[in-house]
Amino acid sequence: MNGSALKPAVECLLFVAGGPVTVQRLSAALEAPPEAVQEVLRELTEDYAGRGLQVQVVAGGYQLCTRPDYAGVVQRFLGLDHRETLSQAALETLAIIAYRQPITRAEIELVRGVRSEHVLERLIERHLVREVGRRQAPGRPILYGTTEGFLRHFGLQDLRSLPPLRGDDPRGALTAPASVSGADPLD
Amino acid sequence: MPAYTVKLPQFEGPIDLLLTLAQQGQVDLREVPLGRIAEEYLASMQGGVDLDEATEVLWILAAMIEMKARLLVPRDETPVEPVEPSAAPSDLQEQLEERLQEYRAFKEVSAALRALEEYQQQVFARPPAEDAGAVVLAGVTVDDLFHAFRQVLERTRERVGEIPAEEVRVADRIEAIEELLAAHPEGVVFEALFADRAGTLEVIVTFLALLELIKLRRVRAEQERPFAPIRIVSVSS
Repeated sequence: MNGSALKPAVECLLFVAGGPVTVQRLSAALEAPPEAVQEVLRELTEDYAGRGLQVQVVAGGYQLCTRPDYAGVVQRFLGLDHRETLSQAALETLAIIAYRQPITRAEIELVRGVRSEHVLERLIERHLVREVGRRQAPGRPILYGTTEGFLRHFGLQDLRSLPPLRGDDPRGALTAPASVSGADPLD
Repeated sequence: MPAYTVKLPQFEGPIDLLLTLAQQGQVDLREVPLGRIAEEYLASMQGGVDLDEATEVLWILAAMIEMKARLLVPRDETPVEPVEPSAAPSDLQEQLEERLQEYRAFKEVSAALRALEEYQQQVFARPPAEDAGAVVLAGVTVDDLFHAFRQVLERTRERVGEIPAEEVRVADRIEAIEELLAAHPEGVVFEALFADRAGTLEVIVTFLALLELIKLRRVRAEQERPFAPIRIVSVSS
Protein backbone atom coordinates (compact mmCIF):
# COMPACT_ATOMS: atom_id res chain seq x y z
CA MET A 1 0.00 0.00 0.00
CA ASN A 2 1.21 3.48 -0.70
CA GLY A 3 0.17 7.03 -1.40
CA SER A 4 -2.80 8.71 0.13
CA ALA A 5 -4.35 5.49 1.50
CA LEU A 6 -1.40 4.73 3.74
CA LYS A 7 -2.07 7.37 6.37
CA PRO A 8 -5.74 6.45 7.00
CA ALA A 9 -4.74 2.77 6.98
CA VAL A 10 -2.05 3.31 9.63
CA GLU A 11 -4.57 5.29 11.66
CA CYS A 12 -7.03 2.36 11.49
CA LEU A 13 -4.44 -0.13 12.65
CA LEU A 14 -3.39 2.08 15.55
CA PHE A 15 -7.04 2.39 16.52
CA VAL A 16 -7.82 -1.34 16.54
CA ALA A 17 -4.50 -2.35 18.10
CA GLY A 18 -5.08 -0.33 21.27
CA GLY A 19 -1.57 -0.89 22.62
CA PRO A 20 1.77 0.03 21.06
CA VAL A 21 2.46 -1.29 17.53
CA THR A 22 5.94 -1.38 16.04
CA VAL A 23 6.76 0.17 12.68
CA GLN A 24 7.79 -3.31 11.50
CA ARG A 25 4.35 -4.75 12.24
CA LEU A 26 2.59 -1.87 10.52
CA SER A 27 4.94 -2.12 7.59
CA ALA A 28 4.36 -5.87 7.23
CA ALA A 29 0.58 -5.60 7.58
CA LEU A 30 0.31 -2.77 5.06
CA GLU A 31 3.00 -4.06 2.71
CA ALA A 32 4.56 -0.64 2.76
CA PRO A 33 8.22 0.28 3.29
CA PRO A 34 9.06 1.10 6.92
CA GLU A 35 10.32 4.56 5.90
CA ALA A 36 6.92 5.42 4.43
CA VAL A 37 5.14 4.15 7.55
CA GLN A 38 7.50 6.17 9.72
CA GLU A 39 6.79 9.30 7.69
CA VAL A 40 3.03 8.75 7.90
CA LEU A 41 3.28 8.24 11.67
CA ARG A 42 5.09 11.56 11.91
CA GLU A 43 2.32 13.24 9.95
CA LEU A 44 -0.39 11.61 12.03
CA THR A 45 1.30 12.81 15.21
CA GLU A 46 1.11 16.35 13.86
CA ASP A 47 -2.46 15.90 12.62
CA TYR A 48 -3.58 15.02 16.12
CA ALA A 49 -2.31 18.28 17.57
CA GLY A 50 -5.21 20.00 19.31
CA ARG A 51 -7.32 16.85 19.28
CA GLY A 52 -8.42 14.64 22.17
CA LEU A 53 -6.28 11.80 20.93
CA GLN A 54 -2.53 11.65 20.49
CA VAL A 55 0.00 9.31 18.93
CA GLN A 56 2.44 8.24 21.62
CA VAL A 57 5.78 6.44 21.22
CA VAL A 58 5.80 3.76 23.91
CA ALA A 59 7.67 0.50 24.42
CA GLY A 60 9.24 0.58 20.97
CA GLY A 61 5.93 1.14 19.21
CA TYR A 62 3.27 3.71 18.45
CA GLN A 63 -0.06 3.89 20.17
CA LEU A 64 -3.17 5.94 19.77
CA CYS A 65 -4.34 7.16 23.16
CA THR A 66 -6.13 9.97 24.92
CA ARG A 67 -4.48 13.17 26.10
CA PRO A 68 -3.93 13.55 29.85
CA ASP A 69 -5.92 16.81 29.81
CA TYR A 70 -9.09 14.75 29.36
CA ALA A 71 -8.25 12.08 31.94
CA GLY A 72 -11.01 13.36 34.19
CA VAL A 73 -13.88 12.80 31.76
CA VAL A 74 -12.47 9.49 30.56
CA GLN A 75 -12.18 8.20 34.10
CA ARG A 76 -15.68 9.34 34.98
CA PHE A 77 -17.06 7.71 31.83
CA LEU A 78 -15.26 4.42 32.46
CA GLY A 79 -16.16 4.50 36.13
CA LEU A 80 -12.52 4.37 37.23
CA ASP A 81 -11.78 6.05 40.54
CA HIS A 82 -8.05 6.18 40.21
CA ARG A 83 -5.31 4.03 38.85
CA GLU A 84 -3.01 2.25 41.24
CA THR A 85 0.31 4.04 41.60
CA LEU A 86 3.44 2.34 42.87
CA SER A 87 4.55 2.71 46.47
CA GLN A 88 7.77 4.63 47.11
CA ALA A 89 9.58 1.40 48.00
CA ALA A 90 8.34 -0.27 44.83
CA LEU A 91 9.35 2.72 42.72
CA GLU A 92 12.87 2.83 44.17
CA THR A 93 13.35 -0.89 43.69
CA LEU A 94 12.06 -0.64 40.16
CA ALA A 95 14.45 2.24 39.44
CA ILE A 96 17.42 0.20 40.68
CA ILE A 97 16.39 -2.74 38.50
CA ALA A 98 15.75 -0.52 35.47
CA TYR A 99 19.19 1.13 35.56
CA ARG A 100 21.21 -1.84 36.78
CA GLN A 101 19.60 -4.77 34.99
CA PRO A 102 20.25 -7.62 34.93
CA ILE A 103 20.55 -7.56 38.70
CA THR A 104 20.22 -10.03 41.57
CA ARG A 105 18.08 -9.53 44.64
CA ALA A 106 21.20 -9.32 46.83
CA GLU A 107 22.52 -6.46 44.69
CA ILE A 108 19.20 -4.61 44.94
CA GLU A 109 19.26 -5.05 48.72
CA LEU A 110 22.84 -3.79 48.87
CA VAL A 111 21.75 -0.48 47.33
CA ARG A 112 18.52 -0.16 49.28
CA GLY A 113 19.95 -1.42 52.56
CA VAL A 114 16.77 -3.35 53.36
CA ARG A 115 15.29 -6.70 52.42
CA SER A 116 13.43 -6.40 49.14
CA GLU A 117 11.93 -9.84 48.63
CA HIS A 118 8.34 -8.74 49.11
CA VAL A 119 8.63 -5.60 46.99
CA LEU A 120 10.24 -7.64 44.24
CA GLU A 121 7.41 -10.18 44.33
CA ARG A 122 4.82 -7.44 43.98
CA LEU A 123 6.67 -5.95 40.99
CA ILE A 124 6.72 -9.37 39.33
CA GLU A 125 3.00 -9.81 40.03
CA ARG A 126 2.33 -6.49 38.33
CA HIS A 127 4.37 -7.63 35.31
CA LEU A 128 6.79 -4.73 35.66
CA VAL A 129 9.75 -6.99 36.45
CA ARG A 130 10.61 -10.51 35.42
CA GLU A 131 13.34 -13.09 35.76
CA VAL A 132 15.75 -12.79 32.87
CA GLY A 133 18.27 -15.51 33.69
CA ARG A 134 20.78 -16.61 36.28
CA ARG A 135 24.19 -15.28 37.17
CA GLN A 136 27.11 -17.64 36.71
CA ALA A 137 28.15 -17.38 40.34
CA PRO A 138 27.85 -19.52 43.47
CA GLY A 139 24.20 -20.30 44.07
CA ARG A 140 23.36 -19.22 40.52
CA PRO A 141 21.21 -16.31 41.77
CA ILE A 142 18.22 -15.22 39.70
CA LEU A 143 18.72 -12.09 37.61
CA TYR A 144 15.88 -9.61 37.25
CA GLY A 145 15.06 -7.13 34.51
CA THR A 146 12.19 -4.88 33.49
CA THR A 147 9.37 -5.86 31.14
CA GLU A 148 7.59 -4.19 28.25
CA GLY A 149 4.83 -3.48 30.75
CA PHE A 150 7.36 -1.36 32.64
CA LEU A 151 7.96 0.79 29.54
CA ARG A 152 4.22 1.16 29.05
CA HIS A 153 3.59 2.00 32.70
CA PHE A 154 5.97 4.94 32.46
CA GLY A 155 5.29 5.80 28.82
CA LEU A 156 8.92 5.14 27.85
CA GLN A 157 9.99 4.41 24.31
CA ASP A 158 12.82 2.14 25.44
CA LEU A 159 15.34 1.80 28.26
CA ARG A 160 17.58 4.44 26.69
CA SER A 161 14.86 7.02 27.25
CA LEU A 162 14.95 6.55 31.04
CA PRO A 163 15.60 9.85 32.82
CA PRO A 164 19.36 10.31 33.36
CA LEU A 165 20.71 8.97 36.64
CA ARG A 166 23.03 11.36 38.46
CA GLY A 167 26.68 10.28 38.34
CA ASP A 168 25.86 7.57 35.90
CA ASP A 169 25.43 7.01 32.21
CA PRO A 170 22.54 4.58 31.90
CA ARG A 171 23.54 3.80 28.34
CA GLY A 172 26.88 2.52 29.58
CA ALA A 173 25.26 0.37 32.22
CA LEU A 174 22.70 -1.06 29.86
CA THR A 175 25.02 -1.94 27.04
CA ALA A 176 27.67 -3.46 29.34
CA PRO A 177 28.01 -7.20 28.66
CA ALA A 178 25.94 -8.97 31.25
CA SER A 179 26.93 -12.38 32.52
CA VAL A 180 23.54 -13.88 31.93
CA SER A 181 23.57 -17.60 31.49
CA GLY A 182 21.15 -19.45 29.31
CA ALA A 183 18.52 -18.18 26.96
CA ASP A 184 15.86 -15.80 28.13
CA PRO A 185 13.04 -18.11 29.27
CA LEU A 186 10.34 -15.68 28.25
CA ASP A 187 11.41 -14.70 24.79
CA MET B 1 17.03 -30.64 96.52
CA PRO B 2 20.61 -29.81 97.51
CA ALA B 3 22.81 -29.49 94.46
CA TYR B 4 25.93 -31.57 94.01
CA THR B 5 28.85 -30.01 95.87
CA VAL B 6 32.06 -29.38 94.02
CA LYS B 7 35.37 -29.54 95.88
CA LEU B 8 38.22 -27.85 94.10
CA PRO B 9 41.28 -25.92 95.27
CA GLN B 10 39.77 -22.71 93.84
CA PHE B 11 36.16 -23.32 94.76
CA GLU B 12 34.08 -25.34 97.11
CA GLY B 13 30.29 -25.24 97.00
CA PRO B 14 27.17 -26.20 95.06
CA ILE B 15 27.73 -26.72 91.33
CA ASP B 16 24.92 -24.31 90.38
CA LEU B 17 26.66 -21.58 92.36
CA LEU B 18 29.82 -22.24 90.35
CA LEU B 19 27.83 -21.73 87.13
CA THR B 20 26.31 -18.51 88.43
CA LEU B 21 29.70 -17.14 89.47
CA ALA B 22 31.17 -18.11 86.09
CA GLN B 23 28.33 -16.35 84.30
CA GLN B 24 28.97 -13.25 86.39
CA GLY B 25 32.66 -13.41 85.57
CA GLN B 26 33.67 -13.92 89.21
CA VAL B 27 35.21 -17.28 88.47
CA ASP B 28 37.56 -17.74 85.51
CA LEU B 29 36.45 -20.99 83.90
CA ARG B 30 39.83 -21.29 82.21
CA GLU B 31 41.20 -22.14 85.67
CA VAL B 32 38.48 -24.68 86.47
CA PRO B 33 39.16 -28.32 85.52
CA LEU B 34 35.69 -29.28 84.22
CA GLY B 35 36.90 -32.78 83.34
CA ARG B 36 37.85 -33.39 86.94
CA ILE B 37 34.43 -32.23 88.20
CA ALA B 38 32.78 -34.63 85.78
CA GLU B 39 35.01 -37.54 86.85
CA GLU B 40 34.43 -36.92 90.53
CA TYR B 41 30.69 -36.67 89.99
CA LEU B 42 30.67 -39.98 88.14
CA ALA B 43 32.66 -41.52 90.99
CA SER B 44 30.17 -40.20 93.52
CA MET B 45 27.31 -41.81 91.62
CA GLN B 46 28.48 -45.36 92.35
CA GLY B 47 25.87 -45.73 95.10
CA GLY B 48 23.01 -45.11 92.69
CA VAL B 49 21.71 -42.52 90.28
CA ASP B 50 19.45 -39.68 91.27
CA LEU B 51 18.05 -38.92 87.86
CA ASP B 52 16.95 -35.37 88.67
CA GLU B 53 20.34 -34.49 90.10
CA ALA B 54 22.20 -36.18 87.23
CA THR B 55 20.19 -34.19 84.70
CA GLU B 56 20.87 -30.96 86.57
CA VAL B 57 24.61 -31.62 86.81
CA LEU B 58 24.82 -32.68 83.18
CA TRP B 59 23.06 -29.51 82.11
CA ILE B 60 25.26 -27.26 84.27
CA LEU B 61 28.44 -28.96 83.09
CA ALA B 62 27.39 -28.66 79.47
CA ALA B 63 26.68 -24.94 79.94
CA MET B 64 30.09 -24.43 81.52
CA ILE B 65 31.87 -26.43 78.80
CA GLU B 66 30.26 -24.17 76.21
CA MET B 67 31.28 -21.04 78.08
CA LYS B 68 34.82 -22.31 78.51
CA ALA B 69 35.06 -23.23 74.84
CA ARG B 70 34.04 -19.67 73.93
CA LEU B 71 36.75 -18.29 76.22
CA LEU B 72 39.44 -20.53 74.76
CA VAL B 73 38.66 -20.11 71.07
CA PRO B 74 39.83 -16.72 69.74
CA ARG B 75 36.90 -14.50 68.90
CA ASP B 76 35.95 -14.07 65.27
CA GLU B 77 36.63 -10.43 64.53
CA THR B 78 35.32 -10.50 60.96
CA PRO B 79 32.50 -7.99 60.51
CA VAL B 80 29.18 -9.34 59.32
CA GLU B 81 29.23 -7.27 56.13
CA PRO B 82 31.55 -8.89 53.61
CA VAL B 83 34.32 -6.52 52.68
CA GLU B 84 36.19 -6.56 49.38
CA PRO B 85 39.50 -8.27 50.06
CA SER B 86 41.39 -5.36 48.54
CA ALA B 87 39.60 -2.74 50.57
CA ALA B 88 41.75 -1.08 53.18
CA PRO B 89 39.95 0.26 56.28
CA SER B 90 40.04 3.79 54.91
CA ASP B 91 38.36 2.59 51.71
CA LEU B 92 35.48 1.25 53.75
CA GLN B 93 34.32 4.76 54.56
CA GLU B 94 34.57 5.65 50.90
CA GLN B 95 32.60 2.56 49.91
CA LEU B 96 29.82 3.41 52.33
CA GLU B 97 29.79 6.95 51.03
CA GLU B 98 29.63 5.69 47.46
CA ARG B 99 26.78 3.38 48.29
CA LEU B 100 24.89 6.22 49.91
CA GLN B 101 25.49 8.40 46.84
CA GLU B 102 24.19 5.63 44.64
CA TYR B 103 21.08 5.22 46.75
CA ARG B 104 20.46 8.98 46.69
CA ALA B 105 20.74 8.98 42.90
CA PHE B 106 18.10 6.28 42.68
CA LYS B 107 15.88 8.17 45.09
CA GLU B 108 16.19 11.26 42.90
CA VAL B 109 15.47 9.41 39.71
CA SER B 110 12.45 7.81 41.40
CA ALA B 111 10.89 11.26 41.54
CA ALA B 112 11.38 11.65 37.78
CA LEU B 113 9.85 8.21 37.21
CA ARG B 114 6.94 9.16 39.45
CA ALA B 115 6.24 12.17 37.21
CA LEU B 116 6.29 9.92 34.13
CA GLU B 117 3.98 7.47 35.88
CA GLU B 118 1.56 10.23 36.76
CA TYR B 119 1.46 11.44 33.16
CA GLN B 120 0.98 7.97 31.77
CA GLN B 121 -1.84 7.24 34.20
CA GLN B 122 -3.79 10.12 32.66
CA VAL B 123 -3.46 8.51 29.25
CA PHE B 124 -5.86 5.87 28.04
CA ALA B 125 -5.53 3.54 25.08
CA ARG B 126 -8.30 1.31 23.81
CA PRO B 127 -8.32 -2.12 25.41
CA PRO B 128 -6.92 -4.66 22.93
CA ALA B 129 -9.53 -5.67 20.37
CA GLU B 130 -9.31 -9.33 21.38
CA ASP B 131 -9.81 -9.47 25.09
CA ALA B 132 -8.07 -12.61 26.28
CA GLY B 133 -10.81 -13.11 28.84
CA ALA B 134 -13.68 -12.71 26.39
CA VAL B 135 -16.22 -15.44 25.85
CA VAL B 136 -15.07 -17.09 22.65
CA LEU B 137 -17.76 -18.05 20.19
CA ALA B 138 -15.67 -17.89 17.03
CA GLY B 139 -18.13 -17.57 14.15
CA VAL B 140 -20.90 -19.17 16.18
CA THR B 141 -24.04 -17.21 16.92
CA VAL B 142 -26.38 -18.12 19.73
CA ASP B 143 -28.90 -19.04 17.00
CA ASP B 144 -26.46 -21.55 15.51
CA LEU B 145 -25.99 -23.13 18.88
CA PHE B 146 -29.72 -23.20 19.50
CA HIS B 147 -30.36 -24.67 16.05
CA ALA B 148 -27.88 -27.44 16.70
CA PHE B 149 -29.54 -28.05 20.03
CA ARG B 150 -32.94 -28.32 18.36
CA GLN B 151 -31.58 -30.89 15.94
CA VAL B 152 -30.31 -33.10 18.72
CA LEU B 153 -33.60 -32.66 20.52
CA GLU B 154 -35.49 -33.73 17.36
CA ARG B 155 -33.29 -36.77 17.11
CA THR B 156 -34.27 -37.88 20.57
CA ARG B 157 -37.92 -37.18 19.89
CA GLU B 158 -37.99 -39.43 16.85
CA ARG B 159 -37.32 -42.46 18.98
CA VAL B 160 -40.06 -43.96 21.00
CA GLY B 161 -38.72 -44.47 24.42
CA GLU B 162 -39.11 -43.83 28.04
CA ILE B 163 -37.80 -40.86 29.90
CA PRO B 164 -35.28 -42.31 32.26
CA ALA B 165 -36.27 -41.95 35.83
CA GLU B 166 -32.84 -41.19 37.16
CA GLU B 167 -31.89 -37.62 37.81
CA VAL B 168 -29.35 -35.98 35.49
CA ARG B 169 -27.37 -33.21 37.07
CA VAL B 170 -25.63 -30.30 35.28
CA ALA B 171 -22.52 -30.82 37.42
CA ASP B 172 -22.29 -34.45 36.25
CA ARG B 173 -22.68 -33.47 32.60
CA ILE B 174 -20.02 -30.74 33.00
CA GLU B 175 -17.69 -33.37 34.34
CA ALA B 176 -18.57 -35.72 31.46
CA ILE B 177 -17.96 -33.00 28.82
CA GLU B 178 -14.66 -32.07 30.37
CA GLU B 179 -13.61 -35.72 30.47
CA LEU B 180 -14.56 -36.11 26.81
CA LEU B 181 -12.62 -32.96 25.85
CA ALA B 182 -9.62 -34.03 27.91
CA ALA B 183 -9.57 -37.26 25.86
CA HIS B 184 -9.85 -35.24 22.62
CA PRO B 185 -7.53 -32.23 22.91
CA GLU B 186 -8.26 -31.36 19.27
CA GLY B 187 -11.93 -30.94 20.20
CA VAL B 188 -15.09 -32.80 19.29
CA VAL B 189 -18.08 -31.99 17.13
CA PHE B 190 -21.10 -30.61 18.93
CA GLU B 191 -23.17 -33.77 18.40
CA ALA B 192 -20.55 -35.95 20.06
CA LEU B 193 -21.43 -34.38 23.39
CA PHE B 194 -24.75 -36.19 23.32
CA ALA B 195 -24.92 -39.93 23.67
CA ASP B 196 -27.09 -41.65 21.06
CA ARG B 197 -29.23 -43.16 23.75
CA ALA B 198 -29.55 -39.87 25.61
CA GLY B 199 -33.02 -39.05 26.82
CA THR B 200 -34.56 -35.59 26.45
CA LEU B 201 -33.68 -34.65 29.98
CA GLU B 202 -30.06 -35.66 29.48
CA VAL B 203 -29.84 -33.68 26.24
CA ILE B 204 -31.25 -30.58 27.90
CA VAL B 205 -29.01 -30.90 30.92
CA THR B 206 -25.98 -31.54 28.69
CA PHE B 207 -26.76 -28.43 26.70
CA LEU B 208 -27.06 -26.43 29.92
CA ALA B 209 -23.72 -27.87 31.00
CA LEU B 210 -22.18 -26.77 27.70
CA LEU B 211 -23.53 -23.23 28.06
CA GLU B 212 -22.19 -23.15 31.60
CA LEU B 213 -18.74 -24.27 30.42
CA ILE B 214 -18.70 -21.60 27.71
CA LYS B 215 -19.72 -19.00 30.25
CA LEU B 216 -16.93 -20.16 32.56
CA ARG B 217 -14.57 -19.93 29.56
CA ARG B 218 -13.47 -23.51 30.05
CA VAL B 219 -14.55 -24.50 26.52
CA ARG B 220 -14.83 -22.75 23.17
CA ALA B 221 -17.32 -23.28 20.39
CA GLU B 222 -15.93 -22.82 16.88
CA GLN B 223 -17.50 -22.84 13.46
CA GLU B 224 -15.41 -22.32 10.36
CA ARG B 225 -18.26 -21.01 8.25
CA PRO B 226 -22.05 -20.88 8.44
CA PHE B 227 -23.65 -24.37 8.62
CA ALA B 228 -20.28 -26.05 9.10
CA PRO B 229 -20.09 -28.47 12.02
CA ILE B 230 -19.64 -26.73 15.35
CA ARG B 231 -16.58 -27.90 17.21
CA ILE B 232 -16.27 -27.81 20.97
CA VAL B 233 -12.70 -27.40 22.22
CA SER B 234 -11.31 -27.30 25.73
CA VAL B 235 -9.76 -23.87 26.40
CA SER B 236 -6.86 -25.32 28.34
CA SER B 237 -5.68 -27.39 25.37
